Amino acid sequence: MTAAAMNALQLADVHKAFGNTPIIRGVTLDIRSGERHAIIGPNGAGKSTLFHLISGRFPVSSGRIALNGEDITGLRPYQINRRGLSRSFQVTNIFPRMSVFENVRCGVQWHLGYRYSFWSNIRKARDANDRADAILREIGLADRAEMPAGLLTYAEQRALEIGITIAGGAGVIMLDEPTAGMSRSETAHFVDLIRKVTEGRTLIMVEHDMGVVFDLADRISVLVYGEIIATDRPADIRANKRVQEAYLGQAMEAEH
Amino acid sequence: MRATTTMTSPAILSLDTLRRYGIWILVAALFLVLPKIFSSGGAITTMCLMGIMIVFSLSYNMLLGQTGLLSFGHAVYYGLGGFLAVHAMGVIAADRLPIPLPVIPLAGGFMGLTFGIIFGAVSTRRAGTVFAMITLGLAELIASMSLILRGFFGGEEGISANRTRMLPFFGHKFGPQIEIYYLIAAWCFICIVLMFAFTRTPLGRICNAVRDNPERTEFVGYSTQMVRFSAFAISGFFAGIAGGLTAINFELMNAINLAGAQSGVVLLMAYIGGIGHFFGPILGAIIVTLLQSMLSDFTGAWHLYFGLLFIAMVMFAPGGIAGLIMLHEPLVRRRSFHRVLPRYALMAVPALLGLAGLVALIEIAHHQMVKAGTAGPAMRLFGIAFHSDNPLAWLAALVLIAAAILLGRRWGPGFRDAFNTAAHGGGEKETGR
Repeated sequence: MTAAAMNALQLADVHKAFGNTPIIRGVTLDIRSGERHAIIGPNGAGKSTLFHLISGRFPVSSGRIALNGEDITGLRPYQINRRGLSRSFQVTNIFPRMSVFENVRCGVQWHLGYRYSFWSNIRKARDANDRADAILREIGLADRAEMPAGLLTYAEQRALEIGITIAGGAGVIMLDEPTAGMSRSETAHFVDLIRKVTEGRTLIMVEHDMGVVFDLADRISVLVYGEIIATDRPADIRANKRVQEAYLGQAMEAEH
Repeated sequence: MRATTTMTSPAILSLDTLRRYGIWILVAALFLVLPKIFSSGGAITTMCLMGIMIVFSLSYNMLLGQTGLLSFGHAVYYGLGGFLAVHAMGVIAADRLPIPLPVIPLAGGFMGLTFGIIFGAVSTRRAGTVFAMITLGLAELIASMSLILRGFFGGEEGISANRTRMLPFFGHKFGPQIEIYYLIAAWCFICIVLMFAFTRTPLGRICNAVRDNPERTEFVGYSTQMVRFSAFAISGFFAGIAGGLTAINFELMNAINLAGAQSGVVLLMAYIGGIGHFFGPILGAIIVTLLQSMLSDFTGAWHLYFGLLFIAMVMFAPGGIAGLIMLHEPLVRRRSFHRVLPRYALMAVPALLGLAGLVALIEIAHHQMVKAGTAGPAMRLFGIAFHSDNPLAWLAALVLIAAAILLGRRWGPGFRDAFNTAAHGGGEKETGR
């Protein structure tokens, strides 16, 4: 139990197959509370699928997943979210016709206890509005608050994606390629943003930009063909022979 | 908009209050004086119908516009509400129960809510096409049942009640139509306020989130199924109230009230009015009711006009009439409306020519195909007497349409440019929100 309490997330022999095609082939992984953990690996390794399994978007084929020591295997995404895990998406996934402010407030509502209320005025929900305003300032979109979210620029939508994800105050944040498609300067700005907003929380992220990974992560797991071949601190991952052969060699070269 | 959450001094508060409630005071006043302006019996009857349809179409838009649910069976909750209301009126009158007529719509609402909960539990498990198909299936089920269960539905001829046999309400026995008008107007006003308030609740906002992106909604802690279900049940409640008002208005309900055609009409009303804005379905209900009651006086082909209007809206103005109105919002905000007025006047020429040509074509064809066999080819249109089998008449109609198309093509781009310049570009710079 004490070991479990130290781990924000525990995956035990998780398998996932689509039809006869195995995608995740036995992943066992412990994410410690408060760490920033990156999952890297070549395209098609199953990183996004692993995210979908943890967040409940897909059911696992076998194996168990525990959040803060509590079994969440087979739960629906909203049930997992209510237990304190929130995720972003690789392809921007916002509420395009609602205002930027409302997008963030949607992320806040449940967690401040407004639930399915149809008897209270959301405009008078001061705590929800204040929290949404604070998050908008944090992600630098305060001056876009009233704009329909679908009209934001790509980088702004990526920031909003993170804003919605952190809005509920979840203890475990999962970011799926947060800096994908961004320019160098945008990426640098974004790394600072991620560092800031995930302060004091557990962060799990999938990321292709090795600069970002080695800059942010406390530990790194390498996923290759549905299996984790190594989990270690960045320096040790860099030095790991197997990792270099399987993935990092090419990836690091491609970076430079 | 959100400034209302940070009120400061009492002076600002009262001004703010006036701004917030001003529109409601205006609507209430309008409801009160309308029968003074349009005081003929026919006008009162039409306005009663409008009031009912406003409630019905707004309830429908809770699903379509706000939650993104396309239902093909909304008349079920409206019709069932109406039937229970008729039965309630009968029982109350027979047993001399101390329940006045104005609360009868609540019986309808209760029925709508009950079946909204029962059928909602089945149909809202899925969204999209599956949801639409289930609503269609349930609607057919209820419609065919209405012809079998004669005790409740009264078979072909339906069931009737006498509203004047209930206890008087502050001396009113609700015999005259004008008293019914005020009863409907009061309920219509209350329902509009309540349904508008719903859009401002946490659930109302999450309905929009489910409409925009159901997947993401699940990842911010909400069960989309629960959201759809709640919206469905509440929408059923208001549809039931509209049904109850119908029962009071006509003192009669029959199977047609809950059949597929009625579900189609409410979809048309919401869509033509505009599902993207709260007031859209209100406009749609008014316009469609007006067309239904007036167009049928002028032409036997009114269904065709109705259909053409719907197709034209779907193709050219998917935002509905409300969307068209809101397109002009930047013009009003920038006070540049006067700059496009001459263009509007110019475009009115091809628009009217085209309309005249289309009407002529439809009416001549209608006369030739439907009436000429029995009444002969002689007809009148726009004050001109001619024969519907005269090729010149057909040619004239086609020439009008061709002229409209030619002129429209010539002047259209200029109109569009002028509109865009007035709305977005040129002149002074945008001054923000």
